[in-house]
Amino acid sequence: MLQRAIIIRLMDGFSIKKATKDLGYCLAVTTLESIGEGKVRQNSGDVLFPVVFSCITFRIYRGEILEGVVHKILKHGVFLRCGPIENIYLSNKKMPGYEYVPGENPIFMNEKMPKIEKDVVVRFIVIGEKYIEAQRELQAVVSLEGDFLGPVS
Amino acid sequence: MAEKGEKGFSLSNGGKSSLKSPASFKGKDDSTAKSKRGRKVQFDAEEAKISMSSKSGGKVDKPVARGLIFLLFFWRLGQRGKGDKIANGGEVPVVKAPPPLELKIEHAIEIWAELPENAKCLMDCEAAEILQGIQEQMVILSEDPAIKIPISFDRGLQYAKRGSHYISPHSVRRVLDALKLHNVSDGEVSMIANVGPESVEEVFALVPSLKGKKSKLREPLKDALDQLAKLKHST
Repeated sequence: MLQRAIIIRLMDGFSIKKATKDLGYCLAVTTLESIGEGKVRQNSGDVLFPVVFSCITFRIYRGEILEGVVHKILKHGVFLRCGPIENIYLSNKKMPGYEYVPGENPIFMNEKMPKIEKDVVVRFIVIGEKYIEAQRELQAVVSLEGDFLGPVS
Repeated sequence: MAEKGEKGFSLSNGGKSSLKSPASFKGKDDSTAKSKRGRKVQFDAEEAKISMSSKSGGKVDKPVARGLIFLLFFWRLGQRGKGDKIANGGEVPVVKAPPPLELKIEHAIEIWAELPENAKCLMDCEAAEILQGIQEQMVILSEDPAIKIPISFDRGLQYAKRGSHYISPHSVRRVLDALKLHNVSDGEVSMIANVGPESVEEVFALVPSLKGKKSKLREPLKDALDQLAKLKHST
């Protein structure tokens, strides 16, 4: 009964966390390794249990190759979504050979490569990433400069 | 050029002063706040080298030399010097900046060092397996209103599933663990698995930190990729 309460409280706290700077987005708790000795808090009467657990998180690093889905196209670049990260920016300067084609459904066109439009999967390299404490989210700036990068089928 | 000599842009003037006592000059300027003076020291050091060649070359060399200085300056100090350049050197020959990714490749080797100590790098297929297991229990878990699932869970699962194109994560792990014997790090192994490369060249292009051990890794990588190809989903 106590263990169940601890697990529920742990998952509650974990899901509120959403993301941290070192670990990235918190996805799920996998195992509960140990529950330490409880200490009673004098003022409130709560009991504090130190808990050791394992979890899965999602974090990206500079220099990493990932695949993201395009969800917004602007004149100067494209916004991608990769896993839980919503704001991944790919500037038009980092899309060698691609030209902006305005219209109702704007796209980026290239003679030799497939076009970049909404819902296209694109393989990129991360050139910079930042953790925003206020919104508890990761943001990244990526590039297509390199071999084997760009839209994938 | 002579009027602007004070600012250190004049090659001959700048070159002479730095040649005399570079060490003391540097020490003096370091103590001041990071302003133009501090930058001038760096500049002079480069100018000293360039001025030797430009003197022999004559007028023709000067714009090229200036271009080289600006190139080195940009490379060293980034954006800070831009204002100065526009003020003093109006007709600067456009020099192509070195491709930024080349510099970053040296740092790429360190990316996996940023992982916290108690963290392990998982491949997409392994993460998908674990998250899928949790989702299967989700039905039971969601009946209890007190249990909360993190917001990013669905997105994470969706991404992992899309990224994993292998039949069995365990076999993939076995195949790629063999690469670890050749000093390939955990992170690099995960990246190779996630990308699902079709050729060894693709691996070296996408994982530049392996380029250093190209000759040693070519054979083991080829074997690993052949085995991975058999483990891939037939789509």
